[in-house]
Amino acid sequence: MTKRWMLLLATAAFLCGCESMKVQPWQKGNLAKPEMAFDSDVLETRFADHTYFSKEGASGGAGVGGGGCGCN
Amino acid sequence: MRLQLGMKDPNVNGSQRGAVLAAALALPGLLPGIAQAQVTAPNATLVQFKFLYYKDYQESGDRMTVKSPALYLLTPITDDWVFEIGAVYDSMSGASPYYHTTLSGASGKGIEDARTAADITVTKYFANRTSVAVRAAYSIEDDYRSTAGGLTIRHATPDQNTTFTIGGGYSGDEIFPTVGVPTTYYKRTYDAIIGVSQVLSPNDTAQVNFYYAHQSGYLTDPYKAYWGIDNRPTSRDQKALLVRWNHFFESADATLRTSYRYYNDDWDVTANTVTIDWAQTLPDGWVLTPGLRYTTQSAASFYYDPVYDPVLGAPYPPGYLQNPNAFYTADQRLSAFGGITAGLKISKALPQGWLIDGKAEYMEQRADWRLGGEGSPGLETFKAQMYQVGVTRKF
Repeated sequence: MTKRWMLLLATAAFLCGCESMKVQPWQKGNLAKPEMAFDSDVLETRFADHTYFSKEGASGGAGVGGGGCGCN
Repeated sequence: MRLQLGMKDPNVNGSQRGAVLAAALALPGLLPGIAQAQVTAPNATLVQFKFLYYKDYQESGDRMTVKSPALYLLTPITDDWVFEIGAVYDSMSGASPYYHTTLSGASGKGIEDARTAADITVTKYFANRTSVAVRAAYSIEDDYRSTAGGLTIRHATPDQNTTFTIGGGYSGDEIFPTVGVPTTYYKRTYDAIIGVSQVLSPNDTAQVNFYYAHQSGYLTDPYKAYWGIDNRPTSRDQKALLVRWNHFFESADATLRTSYRYYNDDWDVTANTVTIDWAQTLPDGWVLTPGLRYTTQSAASFYYDPVYDPVLGAPYPPGYLQNPNAFYTADQRLSAFGGITAGLKISKALPQGWLIDGKAEYMEQRADWRLGGEGSPGLETFKAQMYQVGVTRKF
Protein backbone atom coordinates (compact mmCIF):
# COMPACT_ATOMS: atom_id res chain seq x y z
CA MET A 1 0.00 0.00 0.00
CA THR A 2 2.79 2.44 0.92
CA LYS A 3 4.54 1.60 -2.33
CA ARG A 4 1.38 2.37 -4.24
CA TRP A 5 0.98 5.80 -2.65
CA MET A 6 4.63 6.61 -3.27
CA LEU A 7 4.10 5.78 -6.93
CA LEU A 8 1.07 8.06 -7.02
CA LEU A 9 2.99 10.90 -5.42
CA ALA A 10 5.88 10.42 -7.82
CA THR A 11 3.46 10.56 -10.77
CA ALA A 12 1.79 13.70 -9.42
CA ALA A 13 5.13 15.37 -8.73
CA PHE A 14 6.27 14.49 -12.23
CA LEU A 15 3.17 16.00 -13.78
CA CYS A 16 3.35 19.18 -11.72
CA GLY A 17 7.09 19.70 -12.04
CA CYS A 18 7.30 20.35 -15.73
CA GLU A 19 8.55 23.96 -15.54
CA SER A 20 11.58 23.08 -17.60
CA MET A 21 9.53 21.84 -20.54
CA LYS A 22 7.28 24.85 -20.98
CA VAL A 23 5.39 24.53 -24.20
CA GLN A 24 4.81 27.90 -25.85
CA PRO A 25 1.42 28.93 -27.26
CA TRP A 26 2.61 28.69 -30.85
CA GLN A 27 3.72 25.10 -30.25
CA LYS A 28 0.20 23.96 -29.42
CA GLY A 29 -1.14 23.28 -32.89
CA ASN A 30 -0.97 19.50 -32.44
CA LEU A 31 -2.34 19.69 -28.91
CA ALA A 32 -5.39 21.52 -30.25
CA LYS A 33 -6.35 18.67 -32.59
CA PRO A 34 -9.70 17.20 -31.56
CA GLU A 35 -8.16 13.71 -31.39
CA MET A 36 -5.80 14.95 -28.65
CA ALA A 37 -8.65 15.80 -26.28
CA PHE A 38 -9.26 13.49 -23.33
CA ASP A 39 -12.97 13.40 -24.13
CA SER A 40 -13.12 14.44 -27.74
CA ASP A 41 -16.55 12.98 -28.42
CA VAL A 42 -19.02 13.75 -25.64
CA LEU A 43 -21.80 11.33 -26.54
CA GLU A 44 -19.39 8.51 -27.33
CA THR A 45 -17.83 8.97 -23.88
CA ARG A 46 -21.26 9.00 -22.26
CA PHE A 47 -22.33 5.79 -24.01
CA ALA A 48 -19.12 4.09 -22.90
CA ASP A 49 -19.39 5.31 -19.29
CA HIS A 50 -23.01 4.23 -19.07
CA THR A 51 -22.29 0.80 -20.55
CA TYR A 52 -19.37 -0.01 -18.25
CA PHE A 53 -21.15 1.46 -15.22
CA SER A 54 -23.98 -0.98 -15.96
CA LYS A 55 -21.85 -4.06 -16.62
CA GLU A 56 -18.88 -3.90 -14.28
CA GLY A 57 -18.20 -3.53 -10.58
CA ALA A 58 -15.99 -0.45 -10.97
CA SER A 59 -16.89 3.07 -12.10
CA GLY A 60 -15.89 6.72 -11.85
CA GLY A 61 -12.74 8.72 -12.34
CA ALA A 62 -13.53 11.29 -14.99
CA GLY A 63 -16.24 13.53 -13.49
CA VAL A 64 -18.78 14.12 -10.74
CA GLY A 65 -22.55 14.30 -10.29
CA GLY A 66 -23.34 11.82 -13.03
CA GLY A 67 -26.51 10.38 -11.51
CA GLY A 68 -27.55 6.76 -11.20
CA CYS A 69 -29.68 4.30 -13.09
CA GLY A 70 -31.52 1.07 -12.39
CA CYS A 71 -29.47 -0.66 -15.03
CA ASN A 72 -30.30 -4.28 -15.64
CA MET B 1 -1.46 39.46 -41.68
CA ARG B 2 -1.07 40.14 -37.96
CA LEU B 3 1.36 37.32 -37.82
CA GLN B 4 3.64 38.86 -40.43
CA LEU B 5 3.53 42.30 -38.80
CA GLY B 6 4.61 40.80 -35.50
CA MET B 7 7.49 38.89 -37.00
CA LYS B 8 8.86 41.91 -38.86
CA ASP B 9 8.69 44.40 -36.02
CA PRO B 10 12.18 44.63 -34.47
CA ASN B 11 10.71 46.04 -31.26
CA VAL B 12 8.67 42.96 -30.56
CA ASN B 13 10.47 40.51 -28.30
CA GLY B 14 10.10 36.74 -28.35
CA SER B 15 7.31 36.42 -25.83
CA GLN B 16 5.25 39.22 -27.38
CA ARG B 17 5.70 37.61 -30.76
CA GLY B 18 4.49 34.39 -29.25
CA ALA B 19 1.42 36.11 -27.86
CA VAL B 20 0.63 37.71 -31.23
CA LEU B 21 1.05 34.38 -32.93
CA ALA B 22 -1.11 32.68 -30.36
CA ALA B 23 -3.78 35.34 -30.84
CA ALA B 24 -3.63 34.83 -34.59
CA LEU B 25 -3.84 31.06 -34.20
CA ALA B 26 -6.80 31.42 -31.91
CA LEU B 27 -8.82 33.12 -34.64
CA PRO B 28 -11.78 30.97 -35.58
CA GLY B 29 -11.00 28.58 -38.36
CA LEU B 30 -7.25 28.54 -37.83
CA LEU B 31 -7.22 26.25 -34.84
CA PRO B 32 -9.71 23.40 -34.81
CA GLY B 33 -10.13 23.51 -31.06
CA ILE B 34 -8.64 24.56 -27.78
CA ALA B 35 -5.33 23.03 -26.80
CA GLN B 36 -5.53 20.50 -23.99
CA ALA B 37 -5.03 21.57 -20.38
CA GLN B 38 -6.24 25.09 -21.15
CA VAL B 39 -9.14 26.88 -19.53
CA THR B 40 -10.50 28.98 -22.38
CA ALA B 41 -14.13 29.52 -23.27
CA PRO B 42 -15.11 27.75 -26.49
CA ASN B 43 -16.18 30.15 -29.23
CA ALA B 44 -18.21 27.78 -31.39
CA THR B 45 -21.52 26.03 -31.02
CA LEU B 46 -21.50 22.25 -31.22
CA VAL B 47 -24.54 20.08 -31.82
CA GLN B 48 -24.26 16.32 -31.77
CA PHE B 49 -26.71 13.50 -32.33
CA LYS B 50 -25.87 9.84 -31.83
CA PHE B 51 -27.74 6.60 -31.92
CA LEU B 52 -26.50 3.55 -30.04
CA TYR B 53 -27.66 0.02 -30.60
CA TYR B 54 -26.49 -2.32 -27.84
CA LYS B 55 -27.17 -6.01 -27.32
CA ASP B 56 -25.71 -8.45 -24.85
CA TYR B 57 -25.99 -12.20 -24.65
CA GLN B 58 -24.54 -15.45 -23.34
CA GLU B 59 -24.37 -19.00 -24.67
CA SER B 60 -27.78 -19.98 -23.31
CA GLY B 61 -29.64 -16.97 -24.61
CA ASP B 62 -29.94 -13.30 -25.41
CA ARG B 63 -29.96 -10.81 -22.57
CA MET B 64 -30.68 -7.10 -22.97
CA THR B 65 -31.10 -5.02 -26.09
CA VAL B 66 -30.88 -1.24 -25.76
CA LYS B 67 -31.59 1.44 -28.34
CA SER B 68 -30.44 4.92 -27.38
CA PRO B 69 -30.83 8.10 -29.36
CA ALA B 70 -28.87 10.92 -27.67
CA LEU B 71 -28.45 14.63 -28.22
CA TYR B 72 -25.82 17.07 -27.01
CA LEU B 73 -25.54 20.81 -27.49
CA LEU B 74 -22.78 23.15 -26.40
CA THR B 75 -23.20 26.83 -27.08
CA PRO B 76 -21.48 30.00 -25.85
CA ILE B 77 -24.17 32.45 -24.71
CA THR B 78 -21.67 35.28 -24.32
CA ASP B 79 -17.86 35.44 -24.41
CA ASP B 80 -17.61 33.94 -20.95
CA TRP B 81 -20.81 31.97 -20.36
CA VAL B 82 -21.25 28.55 -21.94
CA PHE B 83 -24.35 26.43 -21.90
CA GLU B 84 -24.49 22.65 -22.42
CA ILE B 85 -27.47 20.37 -22.62
CA GLY B 86 -27.64 16.63 -23.06
CA ALA B 87 -30.53 14.24 -23.45
CA VAL B 88 -30.82 10.51 -23.97
CA TYR B 89 -33.66 8.06 -24.32
CA ASP B 90 -32.86 4.39 -23.68
CA SER B 91 -35.38 1.74 -24.58
CA MET B 92 -34.44 -1.60 -23.08
CA SER B 93 -35.91 -5.03 -23.58
CA GLY B 94 -34.91 -8.61 -22.99
CA ALA B 95 -33.85 -10.76 -20.10
CA SER B 96 -31.70 -10.06 -17.08
CA PRO B 97 -30.18 -12.70 -14.78
CA TYR B 98 -32.16 -13.56 -11.65
CA TYR B 99 -29.01 -14.92 -10.08
CA HIS B 100 -25.59 -15.72 -11.56
CA THR B 101 -26.26 -16.31 -15.26
CA THR B 102 -29.75 -17.80 -14.87
CA LEU B 103 -31.93 -15.61 -17.05
CA SER B 104 -35.32 -14.13 -16.26
CA GLY B 105 -36.34 -14.94 -19.83
CA ALA B 106 -36.02 -18.65 -19.03
CA SER B 107 -39.30 -18.46 -17.13
CA GLY B 108 -40.94 -16.46 -19.86
CA LYS B 109 -40.72 -13.08 -18.15
CA GLY B 110 -39.03 -10.45 -20.24
CA ILE B 111 -38.07 -6.96 -19.16
CA GLU B 112 -39.30 -3.79 -20.83
CA ASP B 113 -38.10 -0.47 -19.55
CA ALA B 114 -37.29 2.97 -20.81
CA ARG B 115 -35.05 5.62 -19.39
CA THR B 116 -35.22 9.30 -20.20
CA ALA B 117 -32.35 11.44 -18.99
CA ALA B 118 -31.43 15.07 -19.40
CA ASP B 119 -28.70 17.29 -18.04
CA ILE B 120 -27.76 20.94 -18.15
CA THR B 121 -24.35 22.46 -17.48
CA VAL B 122 -23.67 26.18 -17.22
CA THR B 123 -20.04 27.26 -17.19
CA LYS B 124 -18.70 30.69 -16.39
CA TYR B 125 -15.18 31.51 -17.57
CA PHE B 126 -13.22 34.11 -15.63
CA ALA B 127 -10.36 36.26 -16.88
CA ASN B 128 -7.86 34.56 -14.57
CA ARG B 129 -8.10 31.26 -16.51
CA THR B 130 -10.65 29.85 -14.13
CA SER B 131 -13.96 28.24 -14.99
CA VAL B 132 -16.83 27.25 -12.75
CA ALA B 133 -19.32 24.73 -14.08
CA VAL B 134 -22.62 23.86 -12.46
CA ARG B 135 -24.38 20.74 -13.64
CA ALA B 136 -27.84 19.36 -12.98
CA ALA B 137 -29.04 15.98 -14.21
CA TYR B 138 -32.32 14.13 -14.02
CA SER B 139 -33.30 10.68 -15.19
CA ILE B 140 -36.49 8.68 -14.93
CA GLU B 141 -37.33 5.03 -15.54
CA ASP B 142 -40.38 2.91 -14.76
CA ASP B 143 -38.78 1.96 -11.46
CA TYR B 144 -35.98 4.45 -10.87
CA ARG B 145 -35.52 8.18 -10.56
CA SER B 146 -32.23 10.01 -10.20
CA THR B 147 -31.66 13.68 -9.46
CA ALA B 148 -28.04 14.72 -9.56
CA GLY B 149 -25.90 17.82 -9.53
CA GLY B 150 -22.29 18.84 -9.46
CA LEU B 151 -19.88 21.74 -9.32
CA THR B 152 -16.53 21.63 -11.10
CA ILE B 153 -13.86 24.33 -10.89
CA ARG B 154 -10.92 24.42 -13.27
CA HIS B 155 -7.93 26.71 -13.12
CA ALA B 156 -5.01 26.99 -15.52
CA THR B 157 -1.56 28.41 -14.87
CA PRO B 158 -0.65 31.61 -16.82
CA ASP B 159 1.18 29.59 -19.49
CA GLN B 160 -1.95 27.43 -19.90
CA ASN B 161 0.19 24.31 -19.62
CA THR B 162 -1.21 23.05 -16.33
CA THR B 163 -4.86 22.84 -15.35
CA PHE B 164 -6.15 21.93 -11.93
CA THR B 165 -9.62 20.50 -11.51
CA ILE B 166 -11.65 20.13 -8.36
CA GLY B 167 -15.27 19.08 -8.21
CA GLY B 168 -18.02 17.71 -6.04
CA GLY B 169 -21.32 16.07 -6.87
CA TYR B 170 -24.44 14.60 -5.39
CA SER B 171 -27.02 12.14 -6.64
CA GLY B 172 -30.27 11.35 -4.90
CA ASP B 173 -31.88 8.22 -6.32
CA GLU B 174 -35.26 6.59 -5.71
CA ILE B 175 -35.98 2.99 -6.55
CA PHE B 176 -39.56 1.71 -6.79
CA PRO B 177 -39.43 -1.90 -7.96
CA THR B 178 -42.30 -3.26 -10.01
CA VAL B 179 -42.28 -6.56 -8.07
CA GLY B 180 -43.29 -7.35 -4.50
CA VAL B 181 -44.94 -4.95 -2.08
CA PRO B 182 -44.90 -1.38 -3.52
CA THR B 183 -42.07 0.43 -1.76
CA THR B 184 -39.72 3.28 -2.50
CA TYR B 185 -36.09 2.86 -1.56
CA TYR B 186 -33.55 5.67 -1.40
CA LYS B 187 -29.92 5.86 -2.32
CA ARG B 188 -27.49 8.79 -2.07
CA THR B 189 -24.13 9.33 -3.68
CA TYR B 190 -21.62 12.03 -2.83
CA ASP B 191 -18.60 12.19 -5.07
CA ALA B 192 -15.51 14.31 -5.43
CA ILE B 193 -12.72 14.68 -7.92
CA ILE B 194 -9.36 16.37 -7.84
CA GLY B 195 -7.09 16.34 -10.84
CA VAL B 196 -4.33 17.93 -12.83
CA SER B 197 -3.79 18.08 -16.58
CA GLN B 198 -0.35 18.88 -17.88
CA VAL B 199 1.03 19.70 -21.32
CA LEU B 200 4.30 17.78 -21.38
CA SER B 201 5.54 18.66 -24.84
CA PRO B 202 4.10 20.02 -28.11
CA ASN B 203 2.93 16.44 -28.71
CA ASP B 204 2.13 15.13 -25.23
CA THR B 205 -0.58 15.85 -22.74
CA ALA B 206 -1.39 13.93 -19.58
CA GLN B 207 -3.96 13.94 -16.82
CA VAL B 208 -4.22 12.47 -13.35
CA ASN B 209 -7.53 12.39 -11.44
CA PHE B 210 -8.32 11.13 -7.97
CA TYR B 211 -11.95 10.23 -7.53
CA TYR B 212 -13.90 9.36 -4.43
CA ALA B 213 -17.55 8.42 -4.03
CA HIS B 214 -19.60 7.55 -0.98
CA GLN B 215 -22.87 5.75 -1.57
CA SER B 216 -25.42 5.08 1.11
CA GLY B 217 -28.93 3.71 1.37
CA TYR B 218 -30.49 0.91 -0.60
CA LEU B 219 -27.68 -0.51 -2.73
CA THR B 220 -29.25 -3.94 -3.22
CA ASP B 221 -30.66 -4.96 -6.60
CA PRO B 222 -34.39 -5.28 -5.82
CA TYR B 223 -35.07 -7.70 -8.69
CA LYS B 224 -32.16 -9.97 -7.84
CA ALA B 225 -33.39 -9.86 -4.23
CA TYR B 226 -36.92 -10.78 -5.27
CA TRP B 227 -36.12 -13.56 -7.74
CA GLY B 228 -32.84 -14.68 -6.24
CA ILE B 229 -30.69 -13.77 -3.25
CA ASP B 230 -29.30 -10.26 -3.02
CA ASN B 231 -28.60 -8.29 0.13
CA ARG B 232 -25.85 -5.68 0.03
CA PRO B 233 -24.35 -3.36 2.61
CA THR B 234 -26.03 0.04 2.96
CA SER B 235 -22.88 1.96 2.24
CA ARG B 236 -20.08 1.80 -0.26
CA ASP B 237 -16.87 3.83 -0.49
CA GLN B 238 -15.30 3.94 -3.91
CA LYS B 239 -11.88 5.27 -4.85
CA ALA B 240 -10.37 5.60 -8.28
CA LEU B 241 -7.19 6.91 -9.77
CA LEU B 242 -7.37 7.73 -13.46
CA VAL B 243 -4.27 8.49 -15.52
CA ARG B 244 -4.54 9.48 -19.15
CA TRP B 245 -1.79 10.19 -21.63
CA ASN B 246 -2.17 11.31 -25.23
CA HIS B 247 0.67 11.50 -27.72
CA PHE B 248 0.63 12.87 -31.23
CA PHE B 249 2.90 11.17 -33.77
CA GLU B 250 3.82 13.79 -36.36
CA SER B 251 5.39 11.29 -38.75
CA ALA B 252 2.24 9.15 -38.82
CA ASP B 253 -0.26 12.03 -38.38
CA ALA B 254 -1.88 9.92 -35.70
CA THR B 255 -2.80 10.24 -32.03
CA LEU B 256 -2.25 7.57 -29.43
CA ARG B 257 -4.67 7.87 -26.50
CA THR B 258 -4.06 5.78 -23.42
CA SER B 259 -5.67 5.55 -20.02
CA TYR B 260 -5.25 3.53 -16.88
CA ARG B 261 -7.65 3.38 -13.95
CA TYR B 262 -7.09 1.82 -10.59
CA TYR B 263 -10.32 1.29 -8.68
CA ASN B 264 -10.95 0.01 -5.18
CA ASP B 265 -13.96 -0.05 -2.89
CA ASP B 266 -14.83 -1.30 0.58
CA TRP B 267 -16.85 -4.16 -0.89
CA ASP B 268 -13.42 -5.58 -1.84
CA VAL B 269 -13.82 -4.92 -5.52
CA THR B 270 -10.45 -3.94 -6.96
CA ALA B 271 -10.28 -3.25 -10.66
CA ASN B 272 -7.54 -2.29 -13.09
CA THR B 273 -8.59 -0.95 -16.46
CA VAL B 274 -6.52 0.13 -19.45
CA THR B 275 -7.65 1.64 -22.72
CA ILE B 276 -5.69 2.33 -25.85
CA ASP B 277 -6.92 4.13 -28.98
CA TRP B 278 -5.05 4.93 -32.16
CA ALA B 279 -6.67 7.80 -34.07
CA GLN B 280 -5.22 7.70 -37.58
CA THR B 281 -5.82 10.75 -39.74
CA LEU B 282 -6.35 9.86 -43.39
CA PRO B 283 -6.78 12.06 -46.47
CA ASP B 284 -10.05 13.88 -47.21
CA GLY B 285 -11.09 14.34 -43.58
CA TRP B 286 -11.27 10.68 -42.64
CA VAL B 287 -10.11 9.49 -39.22
CA LEU B 288 -9.92 5.78 -38.43
CA THR B 289 -9.67 4.86 -34.73
CA PRO B 290 -9.18 1.27 -33.62
CA GLY B 291 -9.37 0.83 -29.86
CA LEU B 292 -8.86 -1.79 -27.17
CA ARG B 293 -9.94 -1.88 -23.55
CA TYR B 294 -9.06 -4.41 -20.91
CA THR B 295 -10.38 -4.62 -17.38
CA THR B 296 -9.81 -7.07 -14.58
CA GLN B 297 -11.65 -7.07 -11.28
CA SER B 298 -11.89 -9.02 -8.05
CA ALA B 299 -15.23 -10.12 -6.61
CA ALA B 300 -17.14 -8.32 -3.88
CA SER B 301 -16.54 -9.95 -0.49
CA PHE B 302 -20.17 -11.09 -0.29
CA TYR B 303 -20.40 -12.51 -3.80
CA TYR B 304 -21.06 -16.26 -3.73
CA ASP B 305 -20.24 -18.77 -6.44
CA PRO B 306 -23.03 -20.79 -8.12
CA VAL B 307 -22.73 -23.64 -5.62
CA TYR B 308 -26.04 -23.88 -3.83
CA ASP B 309 -27.32 -25.08 -0.48
CA PRO B 310 -27.63 -28.89 -0.54
CA VAL B 311 -31.11 -28.73 1.02
CA LEU B 312 -32.62 -25.53 -0.34
CA GLY B 313 -31.03 -25.73 -3.78
CA ALA B 314 -30.66 -22.77 -6.13
CA PRO B 315 -30.44 -19.84 -5.66
CA TYR B 316 -29.59 -20.25 -1.97
CA PRO B 317 -25.93 -20.12 -0.95
CA PRO B 318 -24.69 -22.95 1.30
CA GLY B 319 -25.64 -22.32 4.93
CA TYR B 320 -28.23 -19.69 4.03
CA LEU B 321 -30.70 -20.79 6.72
CA GLN B 322 -28.11 -20.35 9.46
CA ASN B 323 -27.40 -16.81 8.32
CA PRO B 324 -30.28 -15.44 6.20
CA ASN B 325 -29.54 -11.78 6.97
CA ALA B 326 -25.91 -11.83 5.91
CA PHE B 327 -24.75 -9.95 2.83
CA TYR B 328 -25.06 -11.95 -0.37
CA THR B 329 -25.01 -11.26 -4.05
CA ALA B 330 -25.06 -13.48 -7.12
CA ASP B 331 -24.62 -10.51 -9.46
CA GLN B 332 -22.17 -11.34 -12.25
CA ARG B 333 -21.02 -7.69 -12.22
CA LEU B 334 -19.67 -8.20 -8.70
CA SER B 335 -17.90 -11.46 -9.55
CA ALA B 336 -14.22 -11.78 -10.46
CA PHE B 337 -13.54 -11.62 -14.18
CA GLY B 338 -11.60 -10.02 -16.98
CA GLY B 339 -13.20 -8.12 -19.82
CA ILE B 340 -11.98 -7.10 -23.26
CA THR B 341 -13.56 -4.62 -25.65
CA ALA B 342 -12.31 -4.18 -29.20
CA GLY B 343 -13.70 -1.41 -31.34
CA LEU B 344 -13.28 0.49 -34.56
CA LYS B 345 -14.47 4.02 -35.17
CA ILE B 346 -14.53 5.87 -38.45
CA SER B 347 -15.30 9.53 -38.89
CA LYS B 348 -15.34 11.96 -41.76
CA ALA B 349 -15.22 15.73 -41.60
CA LEU B 350 -17.42 17.39 -44.18
CA PRO B 351 -17.56 21.04 -45.31
CA GLN B 352 -19.20 23.71 -43.15
CA GLY B 353 -18.35 22.08 -39.84
CA TRP B 354 -20.20 18.81 -40.32
CA LEU B 355 -18.78 15.53 -39.06
CA ILE B 356 -20.25 12.05 -39.41
CA ASP B 357 -19.04 8.97 -37.61
CA GLY B 358 -19.75 5.33 -36.93
CA LYS B 359 -18.37 2.90 -34.39
CA ALA B 360 -18.64 -0.85 -33.82
CA GLU B 361 -17.47 -2.60 -30.66
CA TYR B 362 -17.43 -6.09 -29.28
CA MET B 363 -17.10 -6.83 -25.57
CA GLU B 364 -16.58 -10.09 -23.75
CA GLN B 365 -16.23 -10.91 -20.04
CA ARG B 366 -14.68 -14.19 -18.92
CA ALA B 367 -13.70 -15.46 -15.50
CA ASP B 368 -10.40 -16.83 -16.80
CA TRP B 369 -9.41 -13.48 -18.31
CA ARG B 370 -8.91 -12.10 -14.84
CA LEU B 371 -5.31 -11.17 -14.00
CA GLY B 372 -3.83 -11.39 -10.53
CA GLY B 373 -6.14 -14.07 -9.18
CA GLU B 374 -8.76 -16.64 -9.97
CA GLY B 375 -11.91 -15.66 -11.79
CA SER B 376 -15.31 -16.61 -10.37
CA PRO B 377 -16.18 -20.13 -11.55
CA GLY B 378 -19.40 -21.44 -13.00
CA LEU B 379 -20.61 -18.37 -14.92
CA GLU B 380 -21.40 -18.18 -18.58
CA THR B 381 -19.27 -15.90 -20.73
CA PHE B 382 -20.91 -12.52 -21.15
CA LYS B 383 -20.81 -10.92 -24.59
CA ALA B 384 -22.03 -7.64 -26.02
CA GLN B 385 -22.08 -5.83 -29.33
CA MET B 386 -22.36 -2.07 -29.64
CA TYR B 387 -22.94 -0.02 -32.75
CA GLN B 388 -23.24 3.73 -32.90
CA VAL B 389 -23.65 6.33 -35.59
CA GLY B 390 -23.40 10.05 -35.11
CA VAL B 391 -23.58 13.40 -36.76
CA THR B 392 -21.98 16.53 -35.35
CA ARG B 393 -21.99 20.12 -36.49
CA LYS B 394 -19.73 22.89 -35.26
CA PHE B 395 -20.45 26.50 -36.27
